[in-house]
Amino acid sequence: MSHATGHILVVGAGIGGMRTAMDLAETGHAVTLVEHAPHVGGLLASLDHQFPTNHCGMCRMLPRLDRDQSVQACLRKGLTHERIHIRTDTDIMAIDGDTGNLTVTLRQKSGYVDARRCMGCGACADVCPVDIPDPFNAGLSTRKAIHSPLPHAWPALYQIDGTACTRCGECRTVCPTNAIVLPAGEKSHFRVLVVDDEAIVRESIRDWLREEEGFHVDVADSGPAGLSLLTNAPYHLMLLDIKMPGMDGVDVLRQASTLSPDTQVIMMTAFATVETAVEAMKIGAMDYLIKPFEPDALIPKVMQVYDRVAAMTDQTIQVQAVILNAGTTLYDPSSGKNNLGYQTHPGVVTSLEFERIISNSGPFAGKLVRPKDDRPVQRLAWLQCVGSRDFQSDGDFCSSVCCMISIKEAVLAREKYGPNLDAAIYYMDMRTYDKSFQRYRDAAERDHGIRFVRGRVHTMIIDPETQDLVIRYADRSGDMQESIVDMAVLAIGQRPARAMPKLADMCHLPLNSWGFAETQPFSLTRTAKPGIFLGGSFTGLKDIRETVILSSAAGLNASRALQSGVTKPVTDALPAPRTRDVSRELPAIRILICTCHQALQIDTDLLSRRLRPCPSLLGIDIVTAICTPEGSEAIGRILNASDFNRLLVAACPQEMHSGIRRDLAQMTGLDRNLIDCVDIHTPIFRKGLTEHPDIHAEMAHILDMGIHRLAGANPLASELTPIHHHALVVGGGVAGMTAALALADHGVPVDLVEKNATLGGNLCWIQETLQGDKIPPFRAELEQKISKHPNITLYTQTTVAGFSGQTGGFVTTLEGPEKKVTTSRHGAVILATGGMETPVQGYGYGQSPAILTQKELEEQIATHALNIGDPGSVVMIQCAGTREEPRNYCSRVCCATSLKQAMMLKSQNPELAVYILYRDMMTYGFTEHLYTRARKAGVVFIAYDPEAKPTVMVDGNDVRVRVMEPVLNRVLEIQADRVILAAGMIPSPNTDICGIFGIKPDPDGFYQEADIKWRPVESTREGVFVCGIGLSPGTISESIATAEAAAQKALALLFRPEILRSRTTARVRHSLCSLCQLCISACPYGARQMESDLNRIVIDPLMCQGCGACAAICPNDAAVMDEWLPQHMFGVIDAALA
Amino acid sequence: MNTTNLTTDPLASIRAKLSACIQCGTCTGSCPNDFAMDVTPRYLWRQVLAGETRKIFLSQTFLMCSSCYCCTLRCPRGLPLTEAMSNLKQIGVQLGFTTKTPTALFYRQFLESVRRHGRVHEMEMMSGWFWAVKNPMLPLKFSSLGLKLMSKGKISLLGPSGNRINLSNLFRKVTELENQA
Repeated sequence: MSHATGHILVVGAGIGGMRTAMDLAETGHAVTLVEHAPHVGGLLASLDHQFPTNHCGMCRMLPRLDRDQSVQACLRKGLTHERIHIRTDTDIMAIDGDTGNLTVTLRQKSGYVDARRCMGCGACADVCPVDIPDPFNAGLSTRKAIHSPLPHAWPALYQIDGTACTRCGECRTVCPTNAIVLPAGEKSHFRVLVVDDEAIVRESIRDWLREEEGFHVDVADSGPAGLSLLTNAPYHLMLLDIKMPGMDGVDVLRQASTLSPDTQVIMMTAFATVETAVEAMKIGAMDYLIKPFEPDALIPKVMQVYDRVAAMTDQTIQVQAVILNAGTTLYDPSSGKNNLGYQTHPGVVTSLEFERIISNSGPFAGKLVRPKDDRPVQRLAWLQCVGSRDFQSDGDFCSSVCCMISIKEAVLAREKYGPNLDAAIYYMDMRTYDKSFQRYRDAAERDHGIRFVRGRVHTMIIDPETQDLVIRYADRSGDMQESIVDMAVLAIGQRPARAMPKLADMCHLPLNSWGFAETQPFSLTRTAKPGIFLGGSFTGLKDIRETVILSSAAGLNASRALQSGVTKPVTDALPAPRTRDVSRELPAIRILICTCHQALQIDTDLLSRRLRPCPSLLGIDIVTAICTPEGSEAIGRILNASDFNRLLVAACPQEMHSGIRRDLAQMTGLDRNLIDCVDIHTPIFRKGLTEHPDIHAEMAHILDMGIHRLAGANPLASELTPIHHHALVVGGGVAGMTAALALADHGVPVDLVEKNATLGGNLCWIQETLQGDKIPPFRAELEQKISKHPNITLYTQTTVAGFSGQTGGFVTTLEGPEKKVTTSRHGAVILATGGMETPVQGYGYGQSPAILTQKELEEQIATHALNIGDPGSVVMIQCAGTREEPRNYCSRVCCATSLKQAMMLKSQNPELAVYILYRDMMTYGFTEHLYTRARKAGVVFIAYDPEAKPTVMVDGNDVRVRVMEPVLNRVLEIQADRVILAAGMIPSPNTDICGIFGIKPDPDGFYQEADIKWRPVESTREGVFVCGIGLSPGTISESIATAEAAAQKALALLFRPEILRSRTTARVRHSLCSLCQLCISACPYGARQMESDLNRIVIDPLMCQGCGACAAICPNDAAVMDEWLPQHMFGVIDAALA
Repeated sequence: MNTTNLTTDPLASIRAKLSACIQCGTCTGSCPNDFAMDVTPRYLWRQVLAGETRKIFLSQTFLMCSSCYCCTLRCPRGLPLTEAMSNLKQIGVQLGFTTKTPTALFYRQFLESVRRHGRVHEMEMMSGWFWAVKNPMLPLKFSSLGLKLMSKGKISLLGPSGNRINLSNLFRKVTELENQA
C-alpha cells in the first residue's frame, strides 16, 4: 500500500529546503538536509515580519499530522525531525551517478566547539578579544570570533570563525564543560610545495615553514619539476612563482588545476607582474604575495589554508535523488558604479539592513537611526529596482519581491514609529501581481499614508552641510522634483545563489543569461538530468509563497522519481509502537541526571532533600555523559530495574531536541510520552558554576516541575486514526490532471471528477506559452496518461453533490450524467476547479466585432480568422475591470499574455502597429525580458491612471481609443482595427464548491488557503487541498507547481494506513458542556464542529493542533487539553513559583 | 548634402535605437542642461517614438545637449541617448531645420575656425558668430566676459599662439567620406 521511500538529499536549509525536507520526511523518506551556513532558516532567519499579517509565521510550516515526530517549536530557532538529518556548515563537493543511485561528497567545516558539550552559556564570547561583522544583522553590528550564529537559536550552540580566530586560547580556559577544541591536527601532514627558480626564495620559505612551523615542505626549481612532484603525491598548498624560465607560473597553475584540483595555490609575484597574479586568481589561484615578503606576510596566509584543511572532513553519502534548494543572493549595490552612495553616504541602507534596524533584536534595539551617524530618522524613501530592471547592473529582469518588501517595510515603519514619519516609495511599476498584494498596497496608501511616487531616482546626492540625502527625479510631467530625506532604503534585487555555478557544473544544469538554473518546459522544478530537482527560489525571483509551493513540488517530483520500483524502501513507514501497558500502575518516576563529563558535582542526598516530597519519586541516578556511548551503557545498567514507569532526564538543551526520548522509549519499552527531558544545565552554567549560590536548589526547582508534569502524563497509548487510501481530485484542467497523476504514480487510487465531457480546462484554448512551448500536444499527452493510468478512475460530466466525514475518511457523493449518484470514501481531496476569463463589461465590448477579449484573440489567431488591414493597428487595454473594487486583484497572466499576443501579431506582420495601454506592467521575473523584447519590436506602451481610463468609441466600423499619454501630456486618439481587452480571471463560478467542502473562499471567490505564505495549498479544512487557478490566477507551469505541491501534502496523509494521533489534543467533557459553541469560533484550525445528530461538540483529532484556545475560552471547563490538565499544570506552576 | 537615408522617415534609425525606452525619466533627471531645454529629454524621446518629426526640430532640446554622456551612462535600459542627440543634430542640419538657429551657427563658426587654424581662435569665432546671428545686442552680452578673459591672458586678439595648421584637407576628406556613406 505505501509507496517506495528512499534517501533524498536536500541542498540548502532556508525555508525552501526546510519545506522540501519536512514534506519528504512526512511522506516517509529519509532526508539529509545540507546547509552552507552554520544555521538553518536562510535569509528568513533575519526577517521578523512577513506581510500580509506583518508577523512571523514560519512555525505554520511545521508538520500537522504525526506532530510528535518533530519538535513543535519556533522554526527560526531550529528544526528537528526524526527523519531529517541536518548538516550545517557543509558544502557539496561532488555529485555523481544517476537517479536512484547518486553518490554525493559532502565537506563539513568544523566549528571547533563540541556540540554535545556546549551549553550556550556564552562565557567564551565574553572573553573573546576578536570582533567581526555580524551577518545576522547584515553587518551592522559586530560579534565575537566565537559566537552563536543566530542569537535566538535554541539550543544556542557556539562556534569559532576559524579565519578570524587568533588562537589566543582565552575561551578554552573559561569554558565550564571543556567544549572548545582549537584546531590542532598534525602539522607535519600538511604538505606544501614551493616552486621558484630562485634558490634563495625557495630555501628561505622552506626554512620558515619547515623549521619554524613544522609543515612538510618540498621544493622544485621549475614548473615541470613542480608538476611532476604534484603528479606523484598530493599537496595541500602550492606557493608558485609567476616569472620562471621555460614554463611560467600561470601555465603551471592551469595544468595543476586539472592535475590536482584540491591543491590551493598562492602566487608569488614581483611588483611588475601583479596584474598577472590577479589574472591567475581568476583561473583558480587563492591569493598572491608580492616579492620580497617577510615571514609575517606569508605565514598567516599559509595558516589560513592549513586551518581550513585541518577543519574539513569529507564524507560520501548514497542518495536516490537530489533537490537543489540553495535559494538566491541579494544584489550588492556597492558593486559597479554605486551611484546610490551605498556605504559611502550615511543613511543609505539596503532593504535587508532596514529590516534589521527596525527589529527589536537588531543592532539598535529597534530604534530607527542611521547606522553610520546614529541620527534619528523622520523622512524615509524606498528606491525600487536597485539591481533589477537595469541593464547597467546586468539585470534585465524583475526581482519580483522587492515591491512588496518595500510596502511592508514602509507599513511596519509607520506602525512602529507613528504617523509623523514620512514614508515614500519611488517606483516605476508597482508589481502587486500575486494574491492579496493589490489590496495590501491599497491599504498601505489609504490607511497607512504611504506615498507612492512614480519616478526613477538615479543618483543620491548628499548635502554636505546638513548630511541630508537629496533625491532628484523627473516626475510624470517631466518637471524636476527634489526631495530631502534622512534615510533611503534600496530595494535590492536578487542574484543567483553563490553556489549556483558550482552546483550547475556538477549537475550539468543549463543556466539562463543571468546565471539562474533553467528547468524543463511546463515544470518549474524538473531538470534535464534525472534525479536532480530544483526547489524554492533556486530558479530565481520567488517570494515566500512561491518558494514554499515550488519546494513542495520539487519534493513531489523527487519522490515520484523513486516510484519506478528500482529502489527499495529504506525507512520504516510506520514504526510499530510496542509499549508496556502501565495504565493500571501508579506513577513511579526515576530521574537520570547528566553531569556533562563531571562538570557538575552533584550530591544526590542533598538534592533529594531539596526536592519537594513526592510519593511517585523512586530515586535519582547520575550519568557522566548521557550523549556518549559510555553514557548509553550506564543508562542500560541503571534501567535494568523495571520498578519505574516514568523517566525524567535532566541534561542539557540539546538532549531535549535529540532522539533521546525515542531511544529511551525503545530501551525501556515505555511510551515516549512517559519520558520527559528538562534542561538543568543552561540555568546553572549561564550563572557560572563558581558564582552560583546553590546549584542543588536550582536543580531541585527544575526537577520538581518535571516530576509534576510526568506524574500527570497520560499512560494510555496514542490512538490511531485510520486513513482511507483513496483520493478525490475535483477538476480536470491542467492542475487537476497533474495532481491526479502525481498521486496515482505514488500508488494512490484516484477518482478524477470533471464537470465537462472532456478534460483540459483552459488548456483547450491556449495555443502556446510565453516561452513558445505548444499547448495542444502537451494537453493530448496529459489526457492519454490519465486515460491509461491504472490507478485513475475518470468521471466526466460529473459533479460533487455531497461531502461529509472526518479527515482521512471523507464520504463523497458524486452526481454523474443522468443524475446517477455514487457514494465513495476518500482519505484526502484535492480541489482544482479552475477559473475562466472574466466576462467583460464596458470598453465598448459587444458593440463591435473589432472589440475582443484576450481569449477570443487567441482563438482567432489559432484559426487564422484574424484579418487586419494593412497597415493595421491593434490596441490592447490592460486591467479592463480588474485591480479595482469589486475585483481588486491582479490576475497575473494578462500582461504577459498581451506581450505574447503582441509578439505573435508582430511576427506575422512587423508593420502592424500594436499599442498596449497599461497601469503597471506586471512582467515579474524573467517576463521582464520579454517586455524589453516587445518594446524593441516596436510595440508602443502607454501608461494610464485608473482615474483617467482609456475610452473606446464605436461608430459603425470605425473604432477609436482615446487615452491620455502622460509623458507628452496629451490625449491621443488611436484608430484601432482591433481592441483587445485584458479582463483577468475569475474562479469557476458554476458550483458552490467551497460550501460543499466546508472550506472558506477568499474575498474574490478563490479558495482561501490555511495560510497564504506558509501553507499555500492547504484549505481551511485538514485533508482538503487546493491548487490551480481556483486558488489564484497563474501561468500553466505555476498551476502545475501548485498541483504538485497539493499532491505532496495529500501524500503525507495518504501514505500509511493509519496515523498516530498527537498526544496533545483537545477533548470535550460532554457532561460539563453547555453547547454554547464558543469553542467552535475560538478554534483557529476549524477542528471543532457541532454535530447536530449527536447533539454534541465533535473534534477532528487530526485537525486539532493542541493550541488550547478552546480550553481558555470554555466557561465550564468542558474543553480540556489532554496532557495539560489543570490539576497537573497547577502542580507545575506551584513548583515553578516555589 | 547627403540625404540618402532620409528618404522615408528621418527618425527611423533613431527610433530603432530608442524603442526599448520605458519612460522612467532617468535621462531627464540626470541632464545638467535640463534647465535650458524647452522640452525634457524624456519628452523628446517620446516624441521620437511617436514620430512627431516637425515638433522635434522646432524644439531646441537636442541642440542644448553638451554630450556629457550622463544620460547614456545612467539609462537603465542602456540606450545610446547621447548618440541619439547627436544624430538629431545631424539630421536637423541635413534637413535644413536648424541651419539658422544661433546654436547651429555657433557650431558652424567653431568648425570654421578649427578648419583654418587647427584649433579655436576665440576672437575670430565669436566675431564670426555675432556677424552670422545678426543680433546687434549679442556682442554686448559677452563683452564683460571677453574683457575678463582677455585681462587674464586666456584669449588674445591675435588668436592662440603655438603651431597652427590648416585643416582644410582633412575637412574635405571628411566631407567626401560622408557623402560616400
